[in-house]
Amino acid sequence: MAIKVPKDREVPFGAITPAPVNQQELFITSNWRVFRPVIDHEKCTRCLTCYIVCPEPCWSFNEKEDQMEWNWKFCKGCQICIHECPADALSAVPELDFEDGVFRLEKPF
Amino acid sequence: MAQEKMLSGCAAAAQGAKFAEVEVICSFPIRPYTAIMMELARMVANGELDAEFIHGEGEHAQVSVALGASAAGARAYTGSSGVGVTYAFEVYSPAAGGRYPLQMAIADRTLDPPGDFGSEHTDAMSARDQGWLMGWAATPQEIFDNTLINYRVGEDPRVMLPQFVCQDGYFLSHISDKVILPDLAQVREFLPPYKAPHPLSPLCPVSHGPQIRPDQGAPMDAQRAITFLEVPKVIEEAIDDFNRIFGRHYDPFLEKYKMEDAEIAFFIQGAHANTCKAAIRHLRDQGVKAGMVRPRWIRPWPTTQIAEAFSQVKAIGTVESSTSYGGATRGGNLIHELRATLYDMGNRPLTTSFMAGLGGDVVLLEDFYYMAKILIQMVKEKKTHQLVYWVGFEGE
Repeated sequence: MAIKVPKDREVPFGAITPAPVNQQELFITSNWRVFRPVIDHEKCTRCLTCYIVCPEPCWSFNEKEDQMEWNWKFCKGCQICIHECPADALSAVPELDFEDGVFRLEKPF
Repeated sequence: MAQEKMLSGCAAAAQGAKFAEVEVICSFPIRPYTAIMMELARMVANGELDAEFIHGEGEHAQVSVALGASAAGARAYTGSSGVGVTYAFEVYSPAAGGRYPLQMAIADRTLDPPGDFGSEHTDAMSARDQGWLMGWAATPQEIFDNTLINYRVGEDPRVMLPQFVCQDGYFLSHISDKVILPDLAQVREFLPPYKAPHPLSPLCPVSHGPQIRPDQGAPMDAQRAITFLEVPKVIEEAIDDFNRIFGRHYDPFLEKYKMEDAEIAFFIQGAHANTCKAAIRHLRDQGVKAGMVRPRWIRPWPTTQIAEAFSQVKAIGTVESSTSYGGATRGGNLIHELRATLYDMGNRPLTTSFMAGLGGDVVLLEDFYYMAKILIQMVKEKKTHQLVYWVGFEGE
């Protein structure tokens, strides 16, 4: 008897991975997102509320560009940021509206 | 110097942990296993054992603490009984999936129907499919030995799995017998210090237990399944070394008693096997060719060895000390896997199962004679009449 994991489905032993890393590229986990938070940089006041409330965290401040950046790889679409944004700069857009929407992917990334 | 002591099963388990030089222990009281932790607490307080002794706030926390300690590279030890075993259930699969070779001593106890504290195997048997190594001992000496053997097998780089080291509550946990305590040097030769391959350490940071995607779950399952194919070889090596170093004569997987010419046989695990052997001697005095096979491991299930052991037998009765309500035979658990093991044999023996030793019931010599009578009848008529007999509860 033999069991073999195909090359394209290999995972690290015990799912133990190197750290620290900014993001765990081996385990990208946002393919169940239904709505995507889309930011209006004009309305955004850079108050960083989204950065604070995101449970993942998927919002960061890009100092060079002077704007907030969203991480699509780990955002689960919980919409807390949208709900909490005091400037109303975020809106929920269905994933289906995007060419690269996670619903359209044949494989989960 | 090796020395002999009279020890209960619990004391023998504690001595096993002491000789294994465990580094982190996590306790929470529930009888009958509690005596293991009482002994270990005394050893730590007296300075006999240099280990962190942590009081968990429950069994879920106990196994979690042991998991964390193991992730940090420590040899971790915990234990429980009955509903304690089931309260910790959530942590069992992550402990195996994350490959943490911690050890959990289980002195079995009936799950609450409600509030029974007698011995029954159902508590631990419920957790048999969680990816842990698992087996029952039959004597205090075997508990001591299994503690060392399980760490050795579980910590092997080819295995890296946690272990349930089980003993019957009261029938073993609170019965004293002679136990040979070896030299620490012998133990160290058999069981080298634990080296975690990727411990949580600031010197070489790693991440444990991440969120993974559904398509990564099956490969994780396959990892464990592949490992379980390797485990029997590792067990054989460990038992070879154990027998050589400590001068013992263990079969790696099974205890076989008077099986050379046996026509009927009992398949039984745990301490009731001792009564079974006495019954077999009496039966043989009366000309009944009876024998016994006792598995030392339930996981991995010794499939080929069991088939081999029963190749010449005409009828087998499993003695079930656990329940599988509504299962294939409406009885216990061993019969399912025994029948699966024997199914492809050319001339397979007849099989049935006996529900005995439940809820703390003693399995008496008379009970074994009753079972033998049924097995003899089966051989005579070449037929299995019933898949299960509830010993002492059979209606007309």
